[in-house]
Amino acid sequence: MQELDDYIDKVKSLPPAPRILPELLTLLRQDDVDSDRVVKLIAFDPAITAAVLRLCNSAYFAGASPASDLQEAVTRLGFKQVYQLVAAVTGSKMLGPAQKGYGIDSGELWEHSVVAAVAAQLIAKSCGDSENESVAFTATLLHDIGKIILAEALEHIYEELVENSQNQQTPLIETEKRLLGVQHAEIGGHLLARWNFPPNIVSAVWHHHEPAGAQPHEKLAAYVYLGNMVSYFMGFGYGHHAFAMRGRTDALDILNLKPECLPDYMIKTFEQLQLVQSLVKINS
Amino acid sequence: MPAPSLTGFNQKVIVGIAEMVASNNQNVTLTTYSLGSCLGIAIYDPVVKAGGLLHIMLPDSTIDSVKAAKQPSMFVDTGVPALFRAAYQLRAEKHRMIICVAGGAQIMDSGGFFNIGSRNYDALGKLFAEHGLKIQAEQVGGMVNRTMHLNLATGEVRLKISGQPQETILCKNSTTT
Repeated sequence: MQELDDYIDKVKSLPPAPRILPELLTLLRQDDVDSDRVVKLIAFDPAITAAVLRLCNSAYFAGASPASDLQEAVTRLGFKQVYQLVAAVTGSKMLGPAQKGYGIDSGELWEHSVVAAVAAQLIAKSCGDSENESVAFTATLLHDIGKIILAEALEHIYEELVENSQNQQTPLIETEKRLLGVQHAEIGGHLLARWNFPPNIVSAVWHHHEPAGAQPHEKLAAYVYLGNMVSYFMGFGYGHHAFAMRGRTDALDILNLKPECLPDYMIKTFEQLQLVQSLVKINS
Repeated sequence: MPAPSLTGFNQKVIVGIAEMVASNNQNVTLTTYSLGSCLGIAIYDPVVKAGGLLHIMLPDSTIDSVKAAKQPSMFVDTGVPALFRAAYQLRAEKHRMIICVAGGAQIMDSGGFFNIGSRNYDALGKLFAEHGLKIQAEQVGGMVNRTMHLNLATGEVRLKISGQPQETILCKNSTTT
């Protein structure tokens, strides 16, 4: 743990902790959500408020007349949808910039994360787990947050990283562990724990490359794993050796799915690409 | 869908996921981004200088026949015939067609449970064999993400691999063959 803290503390450009998101998640878990509390919480951050309103009035979501305040946006879109927008606004600030240490250009990590999150959410829904849809979306949106911590350290040894993954044909997390002593999934999980995200999201991010290790949150980790994979398959990968991850059937076993379901999830995700585009451009 | 025919300057036309564009506009370069396990298939007839680019996502239209009817370019078995038909309408001929293929990336999956990339490529190979077609140049598989460009004036096909600074030429000067 000390090692993970050391890495996080060393980073020069650590984004500020997203305060609103974990608190919104807590509200989301309640059966009867009080929309006043939601509005108050979001209104605390003017940038997020503005982005939510802008998106609520964008071509994808817009109703007959524009929503002029948060209360109206929440009423019109519903709490889950507004939550998704808040998560996207928060995530895009953190995941938008280029990460040279991974060969990631500006916007690529963010686009990958949004596609993966949309895919994970629809996988959760199709598994009949509708109460975990929003959690699956958030955990998957943030699954690679550890890369913004490690990118700085990897920048100086990028060629070594590329060469290592090429010659050894090992997954990226194993290469990271060998070169740095830590890997992006565990450091991402640890960072989210420091930011007071709930234990299920911390665990799912921590174990998103080996979902069985996330017990008792293995279902959530499996949504993240499969959403991540669908995003890569559909070409929303990035950086060198984007596909350097192991195919694990435990993700399928945990959710009682067959490999044949993957093409279906790809098609369903394809149908959501318009939503993806509006979330990708959320801060631009 | 033919590209708009403005002349005199170079245009880049984007071919989206599960889309296809065929054209004989010499100013146009067709580009498809984000080939993960998807396949990009470029065809070009150097005599009439016409060709097309297709971005398929899945091997077989039986996965979702309703979707295939609406979006044939999503699948190998419906997209590839549509691509060739579009090129034939531009007076391209089958025996002159130069075919390049890229994409089909794979994760590390010894059990073959998530092998959509290789299933795409196998389906394509089978279809080409049935029709006596040969791939001139290809860069398929591996663990990388690719972008593919087809220059309709020259038939040159270039690839950009994520995480690598330089583009590579997959098929050069095909007009001379």
